[in-house]
Amino acid sequence: MRKLLVFLMLAALLASGFAGMPAAAEDKKVLKIEGGDYGYPSPFTFYSRGPGYIRMSLIFDTLTWKDDEEIIPWLAKSWKSENGGTKWTLYLEDDVRWHDGEPLTADDVKFTYEYIKDHSGSPLFKWFSVLNYMDHVEAPNDRTVVVTLTDPLPSFLTDFAGCIPIIPEHIWKDVSDPTRFTDPEAVIGSGPFKLAEYNKAEGYYLYEANEDYFKGVPLVDELILLEVGDPALALSAGEIDEASFWGSEIDAVETFEADPNFEVISGPSFWVLKTIFNCEKYPTNIPDFRRAIAYGIDRGEIIDQVVHGGAIVANTGILHPDSSWYMPGLPDYAKNDAVANQLLDDLGFIDTDGDGIREYPSGEDLEFELLTGDRFAREAELIQEQLEAIGIKTTVKAMSTKTLDAILKEGNFYIAVSGHGGIANPNLLETPNWPGDTYHNDTYDSIFLEQETEMNHAKRKDLVNQLQKTIANDLPVYTLYHPLIWSVYNPDKLDRWFYTLNGVATGIPIEMNKLIFFARFGDANEDGDIDMRDVTKIARMICWLDPETDAADANRDDKLNVLDIIYTELIILGRV
Amino acid sequence: MHHLTKITAYILIIFVAISINFALPRMMPGDPITSLTDDPTTGMPVIMDEDIKEEIRSYYGLDKPISEQYTDYLKDILKCDLGWSIYYNAPVAEVIFERLKWTLLLVGTSTLIYMILGIFLGAVSAWKRGERGDLGLLVSVLSIGSFPSFFLAMLFIILFGVKLDIFPIFGATTPFMEYSSTFDAFKDVLYHLILPASTLVLTSIDGPYLLMRNSMLGVLGEDYIVTARAKGLTEWAILKDHAIKNALLPITTVIAIRMGFMISGAIFVETVFAYPGIGKLLYDAVSFSDYPLLQGAFLIITLIIIAANFIADMTYLYLDPRVKHG
Repeated sequence: MRKLLVFLMLAALLASGFAGMPAAAEDKKVLKIEGGDYGYPSPFTFYSRGPGYIRMSLIFDTLTWKDDEEIIPWLAKSWKSENGGTKWTLYLEDDVRWHDGEPLTADDVKFTYEYIKDHSGSPLFKWFSVLNYMDHVEAPNDRTVVVTLTDPLPSFLTDFAGCIPIIPEHIWKDVSDPTRFTDPEAVIGSGPFKLAEYNKAEGYYLYEANEDYFKGVPLVDELILLEVGDPALALSAGEIDEASFWGSEIDAVETFEADPNFEVISGPSFWVLKTIFNCEKYPTNIPDFRRAIAYGIDRGEIIDQVVHGGAIVANTGILHPDSSWYMPGLPDYAKNDAVANQLLDDLGFIDTDGDGIREYPSGEDLEFELLTGDRFAREAELIQEQLEAIGIKTTVKAMSTKTLDAILKEGNFYIAVSGHGGIANPNLLETPNWPGDTYHNDTYDSIFLEQETEMNHAKRKDLVNQLQKTIANDLPVYTLYHPLIWSVYNPDKLDRWFYTLNGVATGIPIEMNKLIFFARFGDANEDGDIDMRDVTKIARMICWLDPETDAADANRDDKLNVLDIIYTELIILGRV
Repeated sequence: MHHLTKITAYILIIFVAISINFALPRMMPGDPITSLTDDPTTGMPVIMDEDIKEEIRSYYGLDKPISEQYTDYLKDILKCDLGWSIYYNAPVAEVIFERLKWTLLLVGTSTLIYMILGIFLGAVSAWKRGERGDLGLLVSVLSIGSFPSFFLAMLFIILFGVKLDIFPIFGATTPFMEYSSTFDAFKDVLYHLILPASTLVLTSIDGPYLLMRNSMLGVLGEDYIVTARAKGLTEWAILKDHAIKNALLPITTVIAIRMGFMISGAIFVETVFAYPGIGKLLYDAVSFSDYPLLQGAFLIITLIIIAANFIADMTYLYLDPRVKHG
C-alpha cells in the first residue's frame, strides 16, 4: 500500500500541473490496412479462408477469445466444466447488445449453436464442424448457457466457444438458406465494428466503430481494408497503415525495418513445407530409406537460397515451435552424407556400375519422380541436387497444387514436396502425410484418438508429444521449413499489433485480432498509448476530479470501495 | 439463304462452346468442394466427414448425375440464369458483370488507342521505309513492346505513383468517395485508368504496328499504287484512299481474333494495379474449380468473340466490296 500512497502524492502533484490542459479536439481516427475481397462478412458468406473469418470476427463475437498468451473471457465472463469435460456451463456478460440495440441473451447462444448445427450442409460448416460434438444446449436463464457434449472435448474453449460466432436469433430464425442471405441484417452482430460498406469487385471494406461495444469504444473510428496491388509500395506511399508479409518477402520487410516511420513484428505462420513419402510403396516404405533421404537433405541451404532466410528449420514432429503443443529436442537429421550413404549401403542400394547413381538390388537405377506444386519448384530442385550427392536420382515434376493434391490422395507417387498451415493445433496430426494418406500405424492412431478426448492437460500434452516423436522417428514426412510472417505498420496510427496464441480462433496466423482495437493494460484513458496522460487520468480518478467516470470508481462497478483502490494500483502496475 | 446458314452456324458454334465450357472444368483434378474445405496454401487442412462433404455437394446440385447437371445447365442458360458462384457465394452474372465493366473499360480504351496508334505508326513507318523515322519507330516500338507488362506496370507505379505521386497506384476508383457530380466520378475513373491503360497500350502496340507495316509494304508494291502515282494523285490521297484501306483488311481479322485474349489477357496489369477486372477472376475461378463461374465466364467470352467475329465480317463487307459480290 505504501507504493500507492507515494503514487497518490505524485499523481496529485502531476494532476495539478495537467489539470488546466484542454482536451485536444480529435479528428476521426481512420486505420487503413491491406485487404482484398474475402466475401460478405456474415458467418455463412465469408470466403472459406482465414482472412474471410477475420473479416467476420470484427462484427461477430464468440464466447471466449485469445490474446497473445492465453484464452480470455469474451461474451462469456466465466465458465466451468463438469462430467469429465462433457458438460460446460458458461456465464454471459451482463449488458451486451446487438448492433440494432436488442439485448444479446443466452437464448441467442442456444439458437446459434442449434441453427448452425441444423445447417451442416452450409458450405462454411467446416469452420464450425466442432458442433458435431454437441449433444444439446440449454439456456436455463438469460445469462447462462449449458452445452452438453457427446465426448469430452479438451479444446472446447478454443475450438468451440472461441470459434463459433454468436448470431442474433431475432434475425436468423426466419432465414432458411443462410448461405444466400446477404441482406444488411446478415451483418448485425455484437462485435466492435459494424459494416458500413463492402465492394466485392474492388475488394474493399469499410467498418465503423460500434460506440456501444461492451468492451469499450474501439480505438479507431473507421477501419478500411483495401485491395492494393503491391502492399510494400502502398505502405511506402502512405496509402495503407499496415500490411503483412511472409517467407521470401523478407527482403521487403528488411527495408521497412530500417525505416523509422514503420515498426515490424514477426510471428509464426503455423505453416510447414514437407517432403512427403509414400509409405506404401517400395522403397519409400522402408523407414531407413526415408531417414537416409532426410540426412541427405540440407534444410538450412533451402532456407538460405530459396526463402532468403525468411523461415526457420521445421520441427520434425510437424507442430510449430511457437505452438503450445510443440515438443522440443526431436531428432533433426542434420545434413550428413556419410550417415545417409551408410544407411543406403546397408539397405543394399549400391552403385554397382559406377555411374554415380545407386542401383536397386535388382540392378535398376534408384530413380524416381519428385512431385511438387508450382510454388515450390525451386525447393524441389535444390533437394534433387542434394539427393544426387548421395546417389539418388530424382526428376522434379512441378504441377498445380490441385493436381498434386489429387495425385497424393490417390497414393500414386514416391516423394512429393508440399505444405499446409494450421500446425498450432494437435488435431492436424491425424494424417501426418496429408494430403496423402499412406502412413498406417495402429499405435499412432490409437494415441491420436486418446489425446482427442483427454481432458487432463499434462496427460494430453504427453500423448501429443508421443505423436510428434513417432513422426520424427518414423518419418512419414520429413518437414523442411516454417516460413516467418511479419506485420509492418505505422505506429502513429495504431501500435497494438500482435500475434495471437496458436493463431486467431482455430489457428489463423493473422495479426488482426480484434483485441488490437482496445486499450492496453495500464492505459487509463484508453487511447492506446501508455504515457504521462494515463498517470494524470488515474490521478484525476483518485482525486475525484474526473467528470467522465464516477469519481474514484476505478473499476466502474458503480460502487466506491476498497476494490477501487486495489484496481487503481493494478492499473498502475499494468496488471489489469 | 446465305444469311440463314450463317445464323445456323453461329448457333451451332455457341452450342458447342457451351458444351465444352461445361465439360472442361469437370475434367480438372479436384472439385469445387475441395477448394471450400481444404486450403493447402495458406489455411488449414480440414479432414471432413464424407457425409458433410456429401451434404455440401448436394447443396450445389453436384451430387446429381452428370447428364442431369448438363440439362439443368442448359435450361438455366435458356432462362438467362448463369447460376451461383461457389467460391464467391453470389450470382455468377453479378460477379462477372461487376468486373466485366472494368475490363471492358480498361481493355476497350487501351485497345482503341493502341490499334489506332499502331495502325497509324505502322502506316507511317511503311511509307518512310528505310528512312531514319522508320528505323527509329521500329526500334522503339519493338523494344517497349518486349517489356513484360507487369514489369512496365511496376515501373509506372514506382515512378508516377510513389516517387512523383501524381497517379493512384491501385484500384479503379477512390474507395468510399462520394462524388459531387457525374463529372467528378468520370474524372476519378479516368485518373485511375491512365497508368494501367498506358501500360497496356505500350506493351500491345507492337502487334498492330508490325502487322500494319508489313501489310502496308505489301500494298505499296501493288500495281494500283503505281497507277495512282501515275494518275498524279497526291501522296496523302494515295495513302488514305488506296494504301491504308487495302492494308487494313488483314488487321480487321486480327482485331477480331484478339478480342478474346483482350478480355482475359490483361491479367498481369490487373493484378499489379489491383484493377477489378475479369482476368484475375478467371484465374481464381480456375484455381478454385468454381464450375458455375467458369461456365459463366467462358460463355461471356465466347459470346464476345462471336460478336467480334460478326462485326469483323460486317466490316469486311464495308472495307472490301468484293466480299459482298462474292
